[in-house]
Amino acid sequence: MIALFITFFAAVVLLFLGLNKKESSFSNLAVVALMASSICSFCSAKGICNFAILESWVPANMMLFGYSEHMFASLLAFVAAVIVFAFRKNDNLGTDQLGLIMFSLCGAFMMLSYQHIVMLFLGIEVLSIPLYVLAGSKKESLASNEASLKYFLMGAFSTGIFLLGTAFIYGGTGSLELEMMGIKPSFMHAMEGMPIPTLINAGLILMSVGLLFKVAAAPFHFWAPDVYEGSPNRTTVFMATIVKITAFVAFNKLLTTFGGIHNTWSGWLCVLGMITIVWGNLAGLVQNGVKRTLAFSSIAHAGYLVMFLLILDESKTWILWYYGFAYAMASVLVFLISHQSASEKNPVGFDMFNGLSKRSPWVAFALVVGVLSMAGIPISAGFDAKFYLFSFAWQSSPWLVGVGLLGSAISIGYYFKFIKHAFLVKSDVDASEEVSYTDKPLMLLIAALLLLAGAMPWVLLKWVF
Amino acid sequence: MEIILIPIIAALVTAGLGKRSNVWISTLLSLIPLAILYTYFTRFGVDNGWKSIFDLPWISDNIRFTLGFDGLTGILLLLTNLMVPVIVMAGIRDDENRVKLTALTLFMQGALNGVFMAQDGLMFYIFWELALIPIYFITLTMSGENAFKITLRFFLYTFIGSLAMLASLLYLFLHTSNYSFSFEALRAVELSRIESIWVGAGILLAFAVKIPLLPFHSWQADTYTHSPAAGSMLLSGIMLKMGLYGLLRWYLPLAPESIEFFQPWIIGLSVAGILYGALIAIRQKDMKRLIAFSSLSHVALIAAGIFTLTAEGLEGGVLQMFVHGVNVIGLFLVVELIEKSTGTRLLGELGGLAKSNRSFMIFFMLLALGTVAVPFTNGFPGEFMLLKAVYAYNPNLSLLAGLTIIFCAVYIFRMVQFSMFGEGKHEVLSLKWNEYLAFGILTVAILLIGFVPQLLIDVVHSSIIQIVTWVSEAKGVLS
Repeated sequence: MIALFITFFAAVVLLFLGLNKKESSFSNLAVVALMASSICSFCSAKGICNFAILESWVPANMMLFGYSEHMFASLLAFVAAVIVFAFRKNDNLGTDQLGLIMFSLCGAFMMLSYQHIVMLFLGIEVLSIPLYVLAGSKKESLASNEASLKYFLMGAFSTGIFLLGTAFIYGGTGSLELEMMGIKPSFMHAMEGMPIPTLINAGLILMSVGLLFKVAAAPFHFWAPDVYEGSPNRTTVFMATIVKITAFVAFNKLLTTFGGIHNTWSGWLCVLGMITIVWGNLAGLVQNGVKRTLAFSSIAHAGYLVMFLLILDESKTWILWYYGFAYAMASVLVFLISHQSASEKNPVGFDMFNGLSKRSPWVAFALVVGVLSMAGIPISAGFDAKFYLFSFAWQSSPWLVGVGLLGSAISIGYYFKFIKHAFLVKSDVDASEEVSYTDKPLMLLIAALLLLAGAMPWVLLKWVF
Repeated sequence: MEIILIPIIAALVTAGLGKRSNVWISTLLSLIPLAILYTYFTRFGVDNGWKSIFDLPWISDNIRFTLGFDGLTGILLLLTNLMVPVIVMAGIRDDENRVKLTALTLFMQGALNGVFMAQDGLMFYIFWELALIPIYFITLTMSGENAFKITLRFFLYTFIGSLAMLASLLYLFLHTSNYSFSFEALRAVELSRIESIWVGAGILLAFAVKIPLLPFHSWQADTYTHSPAAGSMLLSGIMLKMGLYGLLRWYLPLAPESIEFFQPWIIGLSVAGILYGALIAIRQKDMKRLIAFSSLSHVALIAAGIFTLTAEGLEGGVLQMFVHGVNVIGLFLVVELIEKSTGTRLLGELGGLAKSNRSFMIFFMLLALGTVAVPFTNGFPGEFMLLKAVYAYNPNLSLLAGLTIIFCAVYIFRMVQFSMFGEGKHEVLSLKWNEYLAFGILTVAILLIGFVPQLLIDVVHSSIIQIVTWVSEAKGVLS
């Protein structure tokens, strides 16, 4: 709850402060606020300090911050702080952008901690509406406008479908509170022979469609490549990391509630996971643009995380936390490097990395670490994340794990494109036209974090969970 | 732990110093692990089984960062940490790539030490892959034209093999009682015969590619020939031994039920490999290529010896692993010096080098004698034990395998004759201190093992007896 308050007030302050100022002057304030909410969440999870007064303002049957919610809030605020800091040099954008990012994060916190479907719905809306604006924030760019419109139209439809599902669930179970919702279907299931009402099944499917749209899982992923490519880089990273992790946390809560009847939904969810993994990775292989490749990589990662939804064990949320951490850090790193590598001559293609190992060896090193972590190569955090996820999902969905392993093998094909261009292809740009990299320490810091978390994940996880 | 970390730090230091680092610093850095290894021998001994000497929870409480030490590990560590300084010293004349090569070699030293000490299956796999990375960069960036093609083939072979091994280890992991990757837990998994054959096949594939056994060898000759000398030395001298070590340490104890199924195949393929490698080596004109095929032939004999599953075969195998490492690195060093002096390594274009540099000639001759396995050089005792073990398994096969001694003499002495004697066309550069030192280490190793092979066999004896006991427990028959 504390994270929500800090972020919200900082967002309001930034929105008004920046009415006619450039953004860069206030991004430090945003970073400080986000770090503060991250640290406060962490402390209240660990019981170091207590913000119980704040918790009591919202009824516990609407929103509840338990241990894992605090941890996820801490992670998301930290990732948001890194994103805002890394992309702080967007000089031509107004400070209202920062406010919007932080409002969107407030929506994410609501989605993390909901106890009532209405809060989940509100969270999704609060998360999405600023993103529609942010996607179109490069006002003079056609692609950005297209991205915004596409995202808005598709998002509005998916929300509508989600609401219809909510209505069905209410009809079928008689409640929208998480605690009450699951009881009736589980009970019915326990009594052999009683059929599960069609309303509940249909409602669950429709709500899932809404959430699968948010995580960009097949077959609801068609918006992702275009929107990712058209949006400004900062918004793209935000969508690829924070929105995805949040939606998975919310989705997991919803499905855990209906864990009693998991045999009615685990089948189609598993198949969707397989389709997502295969589609994301195969389509990723044939892309030419860096951002499009990363978009398909993020679709594939959504497919892997479907495994987590099928584990159905509330004591295992740390897997999602760690996966989210590894994936988000690697995404921020790779997006940041590709953001700075883009030049007038090579705005989108892999050629932007040509000769990077000669031009700037440390950046090339960071890029390799980020990409290998996404691919899940050992001693990067991505490997451990995949290892935990796959080995715990083995019991519940062995076939999906099999497809996941195959998908990871395929994905090496496009992740190595980055390394190939950075190390093997010579730069065709004159020395004078080369792009210069700022924030090298930040890149190396994130790379070191990925390696360190990869080398001793258990130490980190024992400390966190 | 320090024996893994120090070389990696040394690699970073070398890379960081860049052109300012000189061969003194790199050599000294590469020698530190040897001193550490000495303390391991004195502190932990070699007779009390495979002891854990470092232990830390890593991915979970049961997937731990565990390093072990015993005689078998000790021998392989000795080979690695004795030969890496030789390789580092040998690289001095390659000015253009020296820093890069030295840094990658030192990194490799750390990774290899990890491979030989890992007591946790996942850790073993990770170090196994980590050892691949430097050699991948060495062949990719320094082997001239066709580098990409050669490296891709090498990479695909080894990577597919490693993935098969990972699949097998994961299968075992998922059947352990407490989801552990530790050697003991993996070994305790009870497998049916069919399961064991599949698991064994996965593990064997990785090792068969690395060794390489006959149908999986086609990456070898090109990679050896076109890599820079240090790369060929690392690959043939030490990395091959990862495969053989893996057979002894991981394959035999983990999937003993499948040995009976694979034994005739592996021994048959090995004997075929011995003859195939030797016959092709006789026809080679390029010295590096000749050594590559000779190496194929020698290593196949080790694999055959190991798969006889007798204590004699295994001990001979370990001894020969060490010896082959010494000899092949020496031969590559000789070829490297000849190529640096004359600009060619084709036998037809060389001749009469003996006249120009006597001491070089003596070193070369010693290495040649060692490789041919003349009595009182290092090659003899190991080869003798291996052939004896194969004879006990099947006399006819040992007859075929024994032909290698004759063939080996043919191709090695042919190489010596064409390059060193006859009409003098070129001269060999005079040796520098570092090359004298490198050849000195090699000479001591050749003569010492030739006269007292028991030195090494005693070190490894108790580990081998342990492995043979496990295997015979599983089969219920065997000496």
